Parts: sequence; structure tokens; C-alpha cells
Amino acid sequence: MATTVYLSNPALTINAVDLTDQATSATLTFAFDQLETTAFGQTARVFGASTVTSLQNNTFEVELYQSYAATETEASIYGLVGIQTDIEISPSAAGLATPSATAPKYTLTGAYLASHTPISATLGELSTITLTFTGGTLTKATS
Amino acid sequence: MAIYIVTSDRLAGFKRGDQLDAKDIDGDIEHLIEAGHISPQASKKSAKTKDTDTAKD
Repeated sequence: MATTVYLSNPALTINAVDLTDQATSATLTFAFDQLETTAFGQTARVFGASTVTSLQNNTFEVELYQSYAATETEASIYGLVGIQTDIEISPSAAGLATPSATAPKYTLTGAYLASHTPISATLGELSTITLTFTGGTLTKATS
Repeated sequence: MAIYIVTSDRLAGFKRGDQLDAKDIDGDIEHLIEAGHISPQASKKSAKTKDTDTAKD
């Protein structure tokens, strides 16, 4: 039985800009393309091999509060649409600066931001934006 | 090498007012300038004077 309350509190940077205090959710998906290697004589479909030979196919989705103030969300994100950028994320703020086995730092290099919604407003609610970065190479640092 | 000064509190690993050069920055420099996180530092002009006296006899 779990006896520890764990509050998710990761830290992240997008294009070297720390937007942790604007983020409310983040999902990093590490994936490789699934290549079928089934051959004659086999009785079930198989994928991959003993060594990974397919391409990484990573995604990173983050939800941020929108802010039009200087150097805040809009200023930091708008120019990234249509280009590649680097993302760093760790389960804790300490892990960004000093990665460890219990606070690894994940770096997604060359991720592509296809779209952004500069206006996403609903009456009476805080404005948020959801960004989906695709592609890029993911590395994990533990030291 | 161009020198930049940090102009926001959001650049990871740096404080406002820090000076850095391009190799210190992981992100896209042009976009960081545009977004107001860094600013190119103007190079100081030399105080050396130039003699332009061309008086003829």
C-alpha cells in the first residue's frame, strides 16, 4: 500500500527557456517505429530484433498557461513554430541542473513544433495552450 | 565571438544580467533575442584617436 503522496512536479525548458512555472502537464513519449520482422516458418508475428534498428519516433506534449507578457509563454513559443528546437525535462528541478539516477534529465534534441494556438480563450477561464513536439532524438542523463 | 547579455529571468542556468557567448547557449539564438531573453552586447569602440591632420606647407 502506498504511503507516500507524490505530487508531480517536473521542470522543463523549451529552447533553453524555463517555462516550468507556466506548465500544468507534460507527457514525453519515447518510441521507436515498429518494424515487422516476421519470416516464413514462424507461427506468430514478431517485431524488431535483438538490437533496435528502427527510427526513434518521439513526441512531447505540454500544456502551458498562456501569457502575453514580455519573455513569457507567447513570446517564447511563437517563433518556434515550424522549426526544430531542444527540450529538456526532469521529474524535479534539481534534475535539470544535476541529473541523477532518481532525477534523470531527458533531452529531446531537434523536436519539431508544427502548430501553436496563440488565441485559445474561454470566457471566465485561464487561457492555456497545448503544444505537441514531434521527432527529435531523445537522450537520458543520470549523472 | 558575439557576446550576449541575459535580459529575462527564464533562461535556464543563467540570471538576468549574466553575460554569455553563443557556445553557452543551447537554444536558437535568433529566437531567444526575438523573445527578449538575451540581447547582443554592443561592442565598445576603441578610444584610440585617429590623426587626420593633412596640413600642407
